[in-house]
Amino acid sequence: MEDLTKEFVAESREGLERMELCLTELEQRHGDSNLIGEIFRVVHTIKGTTGFLGFGRLQTLAHAGESLLAALRDGRIAVSGELISGLLELRDGLQTILEIIETRGSEGERHDDDDRELIAWMKELEGGGRPNWGSRPATSQHGGDGHPASNRSGESSFGAQNDSQRNISTGDFDRTLRIEVEALDRMMNLVGDLVLTRNRMLQCQPGDGSYAEQVRRLNTVTAELRQSVMQARMQPVGHLFAKFPRMVRDLALQCGRKVRIEFEGQETALDKSLLEAVRDPLTHAVRNAVDHGIEPEDERVRAGKRAEGMVRLKAYSQNGWVVIEVTDDGAGISAERVLAKAVERGLVKAEAAETITEAEAQQLIFAPGFSTAKEVTSISGRGVGMDVVRTNVEQAGGRVEVESRAGLGTTLRLRVPLTLAIVPALVVECAGESFALPQASLVELVHVPATEAESAVERIGTTELYRLRDRLLPLVRLARVLELEDDAGSSTHISGSRCGVPTAADRCARGFYIVVLEPEGRRFGLMLDGLRPPEEIVVKPLPASLREIGIYAGTTVLGNGSLAMILDAAAIGDLAGLRAAAEGQLATAAGAMAADGQTTTAGAEAIAMENAMVIYEPSIRDSGDIAKRMAVPLSAVERIATVPLREVEDVDGRAMLQYDGDVIPLEDDGGVLGELRAARSTSATVLICTTRERRRVGVVVRRVVDVCPGELLLENTALCTSPLARVKERITAVHRDFAMRQQCAASGRRRVLEGVA
Amino acid sequence: MKTAMDRNTETKQRTVQLCSVRAGAGLYGIDTRAIREVLGNSVPQQVPLAPSHIAGVLTYRGEVLEAISLRTLLGLERRTGTRDRVLVLEDEASERFGLMVDEVGDVVSVAEDAMERNPVTLDALGEAIFDGVFRMKSDLMVRLNTQRVRPMELARSGLPETRASRAGAK
Repeated sequence: MEDLTKEFVAESREGLERMELCLTELEQRHGDSNLIGEIFRVVHTIKGTTGFLGFGRLQTLAHAGESLLAALRDGRIAVSGELISGLLELRDGLQTILEIIETRGSEGERHDDDDRELIAWMKELEGGGRPNWGSRPATSQHGGDGHPASNRSGESSFGAQNDSQRNISTGDFDRTLRIEVEALDRMMNLVGDLVLTRNRMLQCQPGDGSYAEQVRRLNTVTAELRQSVMQARMQPVGHLFAKFPRMVRDLALQCGRKVRIEFEGQETALDKSLLEAVRDPLTHAVRNAVDHGIEPEDERVRAGKRAEGMVRLKAYSQNGWVVIEVTDDGAGISAERVLAKAVERGLVKAEAAETITEAEAQQLIFAPGFSTAKEVTSISGRGVGMDVVRTNVEQAGGRVEVESRAGLGTTLRLRVPLTLAIVPALVVECAGESFALPQASLVELVHVPATEAESAVERIGTTELYRLRDRLLPLVRLARVLELEDDAGSSTHISGSRCGVPTAADRCARGFYIVVLEPEGRRFGLMLDGLRPPEEIVVKPLPASLREIGIYAGTTVLGNGSLAMILDAAAIGDLAGLRAAAEGQLATAAGAMAADGQTTTAGAEAIAMENAMVIYEPSIRDSGDIAKRMAVPLSAVERIATVPLREVEDVDGRAMLQYDGDVIPLEDDGGVLGELRAARSTSATVLICTTRERRRVGVVVRRVVDVCPGELLLENTALCTSPLARVKERITAVHRDFAMRQQCAASGRRRVLEGVA
Repeated sequence: MKTAMDRNTETKQRTVQLCSVRAGAGLYGIDTRAIREVLGNSVPQQVPLAPSHIAGVLTYRGEVLEAISLRTLLGLERRTGTRDRVLVLEDEASERFGLMVDEVGDVVSVAEDAMERNPVTLDALGEAIFDGVFRMKSDLMVRLNTQRVRPMELARSGLPETRASRAGAK
């Protein structure tokens, strides 16, 4: 296709998107001449350019639309529901032709006949008379008033696509991206800097003192370049929201309800690829809100609500995540109905149903094959629903939460990371190969030392289990899933006699790691041979033929230059045959097994973990025999990181650390850094914490001792300078900045604990 | 004069440049137009659970490519100890992939007319990935169809698997 045509299609498409928004707005504000002017300009531009490019069919249709809009602009006709519907059909008609042009490079063989009906219809609208609906096929089935939009989801008379496809296919056009020239210039400057740095590095002689400086410089330039490219990829979520007014309008007409849509935070930026990834789940969520959430008008009036339902889309950033909320003021999720349905579908046992809390019941809507719609409609209720939303969002590295109050409405929260292209990942070793595991899927990391390796793994039949804080965790051997070793534990590595590939027996002798994962609500532990330092990896798409294996989410080049496959946590679970249901049984089993020692039940344990504390030794100098211990609530700790000492920079006497693109001040009350430097150590352990003001602070510690449940003692603050907690029956001082964190713990946060041994 | 020129262009059209490669004892020819680059010491990263004819993945200009092992594809044992050569092939749509061979030899010009058809006794996979045979001075050179050995094409045809299962049955 010619460049000119390409540009025209891209521009027209943007115009048509704008037109759709303006039209839905015009329906609310009838007299707004600015909106009419905007719509007119869009159609006029298409007509003008198209004549020049020689697309006759498009021109004829645009011309008809233009003259109708001119009549509207000059006040000869008034805005009405029919007119808006007609203009929306015009928009769809234009879009259909544009799509044909884009795929084939020409308007195709289809003749003017296809548009004649639409053109005639617009003529009638222009005449101000009530159009002759009879001329349009298959209308007035649903709405009764013969509203043409009411048969949208059926066979639309324009284009062969149905409604849902049309909504999704809009993504195909987003192959171009607008970027500010200034941003591009900035990137170019940085690339220039990069080249200069490379040149200087090439000229460096071995043993040259300036080499280290060049490396540092390279580091800065790379970070800045990355930042600015990322910035360029960021797009406001408003782009995504733009199609919803129309969709909600059509859906509402179809369901015979009145629904208003509101937006908030449209300017929140999200990486382009993620915007694409949440498009479908979000569409689904909005659809659900209108169809399941908002009640019929009479029901609403009876409940004392406004007749018009409301759906609100709200986006905001929080702790490196972008949160998109879909809120409706409908009936809310009825826990009883959900439960009854779940029991009927066999998702929950009847006995178990009695003990489930309301919040737990609401989460059941994410179970596969669950749908509460009383009947199957063309909009929803086919049994695929929220589980698809959850799967899609989790694939994008995000999470989904639901919050509902009976009678007041439902909020669905999609939480997605800012970017997909570069993700922090754990590099794990298995049978001599390295794999990357994105940290977003990680819950916790456990090291089983050699002394305990033999006894740590317990078995029920062939299922291996690990007792983690008195809760049984099903184990999956990565080597077995990847068929790198057979069930007996001997290596079946493809390259055969490679030295140093550990067998199961070796593993016991050396100790091993368990990575706790929780994809789609199924918790399990992945057994690994070894761990390498975590890296920020650049995700590269998988070659097509390897995508079918399903267990890899992509590939990446590690710091040492070798390639590593990125593991998909959910797929490992699938392959290992884990089911969420098994988890429930295990919990009961864990309760029974725990009964011999402490009488903690799994439920109480979970609550205790909410109040867990990270215990650490703040200084190297011991005061007395027992090393001083302090605690930080686990909820405040983002990560326990091992930081190379050379990355700790001294600014005005304060230690600072560049971390995740953030500059974090380091607290070093115990003088650990000085000690480490004196001892010529290379790395320090830093607790990366988030304060109440959502600032990040790094606490330098001598070592992390343990993570265990604890209890804050609030009443004694008058007696002691720092707040105290009771941890493992011992009184421990809590870091003053984080003592109050527990109340505002962000439950959605995932934590990575490294080196907790 | 005109006829001479015609003949000239005709012969030009009919010759094809083939890069000769070896896998096991066999000599194979690959159209040079499909070859993007010949890599020296490149060891593909193995991918567990991948089909056996995929030797692994490798990076090439920032892209991650699958590497097809010609040996495994032909049902030969994997070599140990020696390093294979990797050819980066590219199709019309600029999709690239790697092909691992034992050795890369000379580029030879052959007349397209001289190609003889595959023997009728060839199995389905051979029929699919070989275009035909050239008689060289000392031995035979089998022309590989670069389109058919693309990883996606192999996965679609399912031919390597049928061969593998047959080998397993034996």
